[in-house]
Amino acid sequence: MIRNYFKIAWRNLINNKGYSAINIGGLALGMAVVILIGLWIHDEITFDQNHKNYEDIAQVLVHKTANGKKRTRYTMPYPLGNELRAKYNEDFEHVVMSSFHSDNILSVGDKNISKRGGFMEPDALKMLSLNMVYGNWDGLKNPNSIVISQATAKVLFGGKNPIGELMTISNKLDVQVTGVYKNMPFNTTFNKLEFIAPWDLYVSSYTWVKESRDNNMWDNSSYQLYVQIANGSNMSSVSSKIKNVVYDHLPEYGKKSHPELFLFPMKDWHLRSNWKDGVNTGGFIQYVWLFGIIGLFVLLLACINFMNLSTAQSEKRAKEVGIRKSIGSSKRQLINQFLSESFLSVVFALILALILVVLVLPAFNQLADKQIRFPYNNLYFCLLSSGIVIATSLIAGSYPALYLSSFRPVNVLKGTFKTGNSASYFRKTLVVVQFTVSIILVVGTIVVEKQIDHSKNRPMGYEKNGLVMLEKVTEDYKGKYNVLRNDLKNSKAVIEMSESSSPLTDIWSSGGGFKWAGKSPDFIPNIGMIFIGHDYGKTIGWELTKGRDFSRAFPTDSTAFIFNEAAIKYMGIENPIGKIVRWNSQDHKIIGVVKDMLAESPFKPVKQAVYMIQYENTSWINLKLNPKKSTSASLALIETVLKKHAPNVPFEYQFVDQSFAKKFVAEERIRTLASIFALFAIFISCLGLFGLASFMAEQRSKEIGIRKVVGASIFNLWKLLSKDFVKLVMLACIIAIPIAYYGMRNWLNNYEYQTNISWWVFAISGIGALIITLLTVSFQAIKAAITNPIKSLKAE
Amino acid sequence: MIKITDLEKYYKTEELQTIALNKLSFEVKKGEFVAIMGPSGCGKSTLLNILGMLDDSDGGSFIFNGEEVIHYNERKRANIRKHNIGFVFQSFNLIDQLTVFENVELPLIYIGVKKAERKKKVYEVLEKMQIMHRRKHFPQQLSGGQQQRVAVARAVVNNPKLILADEPTGNLDSSNGNEVMDLLTELNKQGTTIIMVTHSEHDAKFSHRIIRMLDGQKVIENSLI
Repeated sequence: MIRNYFKIAWRNLINNKGYSAINIGGLALGMAVVILIGLWIHDEITFDQNHKNYEDIAQVLVHKTANGKKRTRYTMPYPLGNELRAKYNEDFEHVVMSSFHSDNILSVGDKNISKRGGFMEPDALKMLSLNMVYGNWDGLKNPNSIVISQATAKVLFGGKNPIGELMTISNKLDVQVTGVYKNMPFNTTFNKLEFIAPWDLYVSSYTWVKESRDNNMWDNSSYQLYVQIANGSNMSSVSSKIKNVVYDHLPEYGKKSHPELFLFPMKDWHLRSNWKDGVNTGGFIQYVWLFGIIGLFVLLLACINFMNLSTAQSEKRAKEVGIRKSIGSSKRQLINQFLSESFLSVVFALILALILVVLVLPAFNQLADKQIRFPYNNLYFCLLSSGIVIATSLIAGSYPALYLSSFRPVNVLKGTFKTGNSASYFRKTLVVVQFTVSIILVVGTIVVEKQIDHSKNRPMGYEKNGLVMLEKVTEDYKGKYNVLRNDLKNSKAVIEMSESSSPLTDIWSSGGGFKWAGKSPDFIPNIGMIFIGHDYGKTIGWELTKGRDFSRAFPTDSTAFIFNEAAIKYMGIENPIGKIVRWNSQDHKIIGVVKDMLAESPFKPVKQAVYMIQYENTSWINLKLNPKKSTSASLALIETVLKKHAPNVPFEYQFVDQSFAKKFVAEERIRTLASIFALFAIFISCLGLFGLASFMAEQRSKEIGIRKVVGASIFNLWKLLSKDFVKLVMLACIIAIPIAYYGMRNWLNNYEYQTNISWWVFAISGIGALIITLLTVSFQAIKAAITNPIKSLKAE
Repeated sequence: MIKITDLEKYYKTEELQTIALNKLSFEVKKGEFVAIMGPSGCGKSTLLNILGMLDDSDGGSFIFNGEEVIHYNERKRANIRKHNIGFVFQSFNLIDQLTVFENVELPLIYIGVKKAERKKKVYEVLEKMQIMHRRKHFPQQLSGGQQQRVAVARAVVNNPKLILADEPTGNLDSSNGNEVMDLLTELNKQGTTIIMVTHSEHDAKFSHRIIRMLDGQKVIENSLI
């Protein structure tokens, strides 16, 4: 029996090649999208799961309260690690203090490379269950050791076993390789961690860290703290136990911010990293949901096509149903027959979809910044695929099966059978659903695009073109500011040079403790602090709105402040020039106010910031290239000059405009993915529309013939056939617009600096959908209209 | 009104070429009622399709109302057709989704007659065909004879100069068939030229002249008046 089902199913597929192609092609596209999205979601939700103790690892974070608002911070004071080990030992398996990870120069002989890494306590290797290629998890116990990734080992030592080899960190710290670990998978937080050096080396080599230790400084938070909770312990109860540890140790002035510690579990690091007022507000997880929903919708659209075309063909099959029933087929057997047909189509579609996925996966990986591999041998994937096949066959096949099998044989055989209005209403509803989804996706894509454009076109407050920044990753440039500046300017490669504590595209430190006349005693200010040299303003081209720039002509400028406009507004100071602000037990005179400069997120308002002269605290060199020279020539000259003064430092630089553009990477990726999925959705909808229109034209061929004979022009017929579809798409617009508006309004609320949703976004989407509909339907309508009517009338 | 000379039409398949019309020539004068007879496959329907400008010929000349129309494009032919020619088919060819009134109204819509005018004309012709009382019904609710009367009504509603009828009684019983033939005769008396393809000697007797065809050629012509 089953063989018979499949035999007939196969013949039907072959006999209706056009419909089968649309059906299977559309389904295959839908499935390919679902599989890709599924792989992507899998990659996202298995983030960090390579660590064996994934469930028990957490980072210690703190909520601090200022001016009634809670802010969540990752920085911890030095003594906290020891305190947790001493007093809460039974709750933790591992407690690991860590520096912030940054780019450092690693050298072996003449080889200098820049790699990201950090200093961590010895338990780090075990806690992260690193896969050791050479050495073991005890690698960090010796304070002059280093553990490096396989990739780093390959670059520095070639293929050989590097254990025992000597190397230097930042041209300053001599260490011996004690371990090599396998590169971590791409979807891990520590993916870019290319070396780990011992925490003790960090403490002994940097004075400010040593001070934190020696003075037991609870009020200086500059480190990270990772933990693995003990077996049987529970994250939230440990969280509440340690809540007040920092608070209890702080001096009175520090208690004001009321720090509350808590454990941030590793499983939330990647997908739920947003905090607002002390509450986790999700994060990337919303895109996982979003794309999951889009994937399901795309599959739904493809299923809708399938149902639509199957029921549309029902009249053709009606006679068959009648004959089968009259010779004794039960309704159930007919249902099985039709389900076998849909199952066969779905299996073909899946095969096609898998081929498609394998083909586009490399491009998809590039687009989504992933390294997803096709899971050929993954049992779950096979099960999931089978699940999709069964679910899709049932969803797509059940309605046609029930509908077709319910025909009454007497009617169909007598020739009085007519498919009822209910079937055509059902088909119309499905078309409306398809276009509603497509239009929502299109509106979404346009709004995301608009938001990116809006933020990209924000005034920067300085001239970002022709600006190059270099991080001073070693101390080789220390004390060489003037000679470097002179040499660079003399080389004519740059027209100005300056230094700063933060890159132009970020603000690395902020502080409190500012006092000024008129400040409310309850107000706890937090202001971004940028330490700069005298030539900073000239280099970047900032715009002073009040007062003057720093000048070497005024020795008192060494304690002067320049604020940005946001800070003046934030502090509520009127006529700021000449006013005194007290900070760090010293008086500082305000000598200037600059226009707000965009440094952090382009989606947020500019942060209040203060600029002050402090050469010893700078870690970035900023260069304004000479516009009269070619960029490559200038860069070559700069490299020569820098190599003269710091021969062991690799020449690594960033263009400010490019670095700024990176801030949009996440949004741009979402835009690209969303637009591709929207395109797929539209394409699949059109495929369905095309099939349906061709069916309608075929169905109405007699009518078209008659109309033509009695005088209808091609235009009349085109209008007749297109009208119905246009109405459906217009209805879809009406439904889609409020949904899209509501959804995008919510999305935009994630951003403080947001674009508006103009009416034209909807107009474009709606008109676009109409044009696409007309183009799709017209092809069939015109084809039908120019067919010689005697053909259709002869067929009677 | 119609003059065809050496009209040719072939049907080609991959293997063979069938001659449907073989240098056929004849003339039909204004106000005539001509019956075309012959066995199946002799080219009657092909001829009717060409005369109705629904199909192309492969050679010869076709003069309609003094105009050579053989090389006219689809648009020009459609234009002549909708103003001058009405069709009546064996299988009625009514549109199932439209009511009797709407079916008859259709040709008037396509030549751009105003709504009030259309209603007047449709009512007139439905009255004449005695199916006024059925104007709100759908085709499948009518008997065969009634359906064919609707089809005739539709064919004549815009006062065509020529009616082409393809076996108009083929699907009807004899009494309904006679009714339709009476209708056509009546229209002819009022001045409409009629060309009718038929198998029925009985129906052919209603005409003025019978053209008998075989293998795409005219074999004999009998005048009945």
